[in-house]
Amino acid sequence: MGKKVKTSRKGKKAWRANISMEDIHDYFEKSTKDALSGGSLASVPTESLFFIDKSKDLSVKRKIEKKREKVLRVDSVLKKNPFVEAVPSSKQKDSKKKKKEALKAKDVVVQDVPKDDSTPDSGMVPLWGNQGQQSGKARQACKQSIIPAVEVEPPGCSYNPSFESHQDSLAQAVAEEMQKVYKNELGPQPVPLTVMGEVIDEDDKYFMEADDGSDDEMNEENLSEKEDTLTEKRPSKTRRVTRVELNKRARRKELQRKEAEAKRAKELSEDIDTLPDILQEIAKEDEEKQKKHLRRVIAKQERLKACPPRLGKYKFQPAPPQVLLSEELTGSLRKLKGCATLARDRFKSLEKRGLIPPSAKTGRK
Amino acid sequence: MGKPKHYRPPGKKKEGNAARYVTRSQAIKILQVSLSDFRKLCIHKGVFPREPKKKVKGNHHTYYHLKDVMYILHDPLLEKFREIRAYQKKIKKAKAKKNDELARLLLSRAPSYKLDMVIRDRYPTFVDALRDLDDPLTMIHLFAMLPAIDRLKIEAKRIHNCRRLCHEWQAYISRTHKLRKVFVAVKGVYYQAEVDGQKITWLAPHARQQVLTDDVDFNVMLTFLEFYEALLGFVNFQLYHSINVKYPPILDPRLEALAADLYALSRYFDANYRASVREPQVAGSSRSEQELEESDLRLAQLQHQLPANEPGALMHLVQDAASEIEEDEATRECKKLFQNKKIFLSREVPRESLLFVIPAFGGIVSWEGDGAPYAEADDSITHQIVDRPTQGHVYLSREYIQPQWVYDCVNARIILPTEPYTVGRDPPPHLSPFVDDEAEGYIPDYAKTIKQLQAAAKRDVQPLPGTENDDLDNSENMLAEGYISRTKAMEAAEKKQQMMLLEKQYHDDLKMELQVVSSINKQSPAKDMESKEESLPDVEQSAIGTEDPSRLMMSRKKRGLAIAIEMSKQRKKDHVEKLKERKRNIEAAQKSEKKHKKAQLY
Repeated sequence: MGKKVKTSRKGKKAWRANISMEDIHDYFEKSTKDALSGGSLASVPTESLFFIDKSKDLSVKRKIEKKREKVLRVDSVLKKNPFVEAVPSSKQKDSKKKKKEALKAKDVVVQDVPKDDSTPDSGMVPLWGNQGQQSGKARQACKQSIIPAVEVEPPGCSYNPSFESHQDSLAQAVAEEMQKVYKNELGPQPVPLTVMGEVIDEDDKYFMEADDGSDDEMNEENLSEKEDTLTEKRPSKTRRVTRVELNKRARRKELQRKEAEAKRAKELSEDIDTLPDILQEIAKEDEEKQKKHLRRVIAKQERLKACPPRLGKYKFQPAPPQVLLSEELTGSLRKLKGCATLARDRFKSLEKRGLIPPSAKTGRK
Repeated sequence: MGKPKHYRPPGKKKEGNAARYVTRSQAIKILQVSLSDFRKLCIHKGVFPREPKKKVKGNHHTYYHLKDVMYILHDPLLEKFREIRAYQKKIKKAKAKKNDELARLLLSRAPSYKLDMVIRDRYPTFVDALRDLDDPLTMIHLFAMLPAIDRLKIEAKRIHNCRRLCHEWQAYISRTHKLRKVFVAVKGVYYQAEVDGQKITWLAPHARQQVLTDDVDFNVMLTFLEFYEALLGFVNFQLYHSINVKYPPILDPRLEALAADLYALSRYFDANYRASVREPQVAGSSRSEQELEESDLRLAQLQHQLPANEPGALMHLVQDAASEIEEDEATRECKKLFQNKKIFLSREVPRESLLFVIPAFGGIVSWEGDGAPYAEADDSITHQIVDRPTQGHVYLSREYIQPQWVYDCVNARIILPTEPYTVGRDPPPHLSPFVDDEAEGYIPDYAKTIKQLQAAAKRDVQPLPGTENDDLDNSENMLAEGYISRTKAMEAAEKKQQMMLLEKQYHDDLKMELQVVSSINKQSPAKDMESKEESLPDVEQSAIGTEDPSRLMMSRKKRGLAIAIEMSKQRKKDHVEKLKERKRNIEAAQKSEKKHKKAQLY
């Protein structure tokens, strides 16, 4: 609406108004800035300004950092606060805890003192103090098996055994082997994987079963029919018991009772007569019981000595004894054919003592 | 009015075996660890499966006692295992992202665990640890022989550690003369030492290649080994400190490179002893780290200074130590066995074993190879141990014998005559020292001759207790002569022996009865302490005999055991009879054969 300002005008004033001085101003500003900050960056070669960071994958790092900057509220809540004590997973009684702490403090003292003058670098401490004593309460050691950790072989297994003991050990080894063989021979036959005969089709099988089944069903039906007829014929209502009959029954009952009493009395008198015999019998029974018990105790002892209790799915199988054969006896340590499966021997010992449950034989063939 | 027994309100605890025992999978659920971690924890904490009377979940499960599971649950080791598992996941993740740098960084900071508290928990006193040392020693000796295989995660580092631990143990035993019995069997060499009154038996395999079979779970074995390594380390530490030797021994690198660790260790002992003698003068009241380092350096130097071929070095050491360590009868006897004997080992004999055994009985020993204390040409060598069919070059001043001689001497505790052991001959049978001949009832022939020799040696030595050292060689010569023409002396000895036998029988009877008592005690380990107090009256009881009155006094269980023991005795007797019978048969057969031959000749 208003009048438009006229922009073009002739004369000096007009020049000044229309020509913008901004770029010049900017230039001066920039140059002064550069001068202050130590030279313009434009003149510097690009190599010195930038370099390619080959050490890391930048994009991945940026991503990770971006994520790291953000702290979710859940995380910030879960962050450990130094002023709040952690909640222990299990609550202990105060007195116990205090005792333990005291003990620990003592231990620390015990551990620290010898550390100073003995071995600072090895990280070893005298666990049992200097006298081999320990004050702390220890857990009752759990019952170990009665089998010793290292069983010394019988004298027949010496590298140069005497003749008799060698024969003895050899016989034992042979007996064990033979026992295995006999067990294989005399044991139940395994179920065969294949059966002789022709292969029967699925359809045929169905028909066979159907034929067999039909006969049976027929018979059953017949039988059940007969039964039904029988039950129908039977009179359903009960007969009335007469007084005469009741009396009869009562009398019979009385008679039976008397007879039983008499019998009992007779037996008693007989028993009294044969009292010594009965006493003997009882003694015999007791003895037998005791013997049975004894047998069980002994058997259990021997079983425990020979093998561990059944601890898992598999049964423990002992390793065969290591005896030299008669032709391997050289009498020389140099020519001795030593046992090469000691690792297995140790493993079997662990199993035998019940430290680990026996595992199935996993021999690759 | 009580509730019916079968009714159990919901939420109430169950009773009996169902509540007391849990299967393995239940235990894992309780502990919230993986199966492999659970197995490791069980081995470290000494928790083993049990056999409940009623197997509630079936016969094909492994059961653990709930108390044992709780025992694991309260252990700090469990938390540590979880931490390690979480950390492993981090490493795995870094590796999966191909972030090798991070993985390496994480690996270098991986948390580890220590077993010292566990060991202290399981073995409250040092004697407890010693008592249980059989298995650790055997296992560590075995692994020292195994090849390192990556597939089974058997690292070379661990095998070296095992070797080191073995040598440290052997050096201690050898140095303090605690070895008692040695038995060379097909499996390996059985040693028995007596430390702090505890008999420790272990098996060291022969120096042969070991085969690793597939039926052995090496994960389990390695876990056991881990615990045993820690245990033996602490035991060695304790033992070394008891004789005033610094524990992680600093060895001469030259000898170590030559695989003569045992010898290096013995030299270390010697040097350390001398150093400890000097140290109080040098080190004043306060000792800084630097001084310690210096003393270490000096130690190493001292080892170098020790003259390499000084023959008396070990003997010197033995004499020095004598004043310090209080010794019992057996130790003194063992120390003097090979005194004044200078033994040289040929190339083909088992060096490790003999280097351990001979110094343990006071002998000086050297071997063929670099770093040996003296060479084969040394004139003062009295015995050379060879194991070859014929010996080429022979020094007249020494005797050439087979290695078995050493072991038999050690077991008999006398110097045996050397003729049966000379080169090229079949040596007499190597008898097991672990068999109690009297208890067994059957005595092999060679054991009888050894016994006679022992009796003779005792008679020779006893009148001259002061001068026995000088007379040892003489007595040996006499023994040798006596062995060749054993007539008069033996007859005289026989009378004495009979007396001794009677005495022995009496002792044996006593021992048997003691065994009865001890085996009964074993039956009830919980009541062990009480029964120890009661053991005296028990002995008296059993001394009365196995008649009815004493038996009536026993409990039913003990009575059963006593009868069982009698039965086993009877069986043993029968067995001995059988052996004798067999021998008679063999002899008869041989005789008849000879006759036959003679008949054929004529």
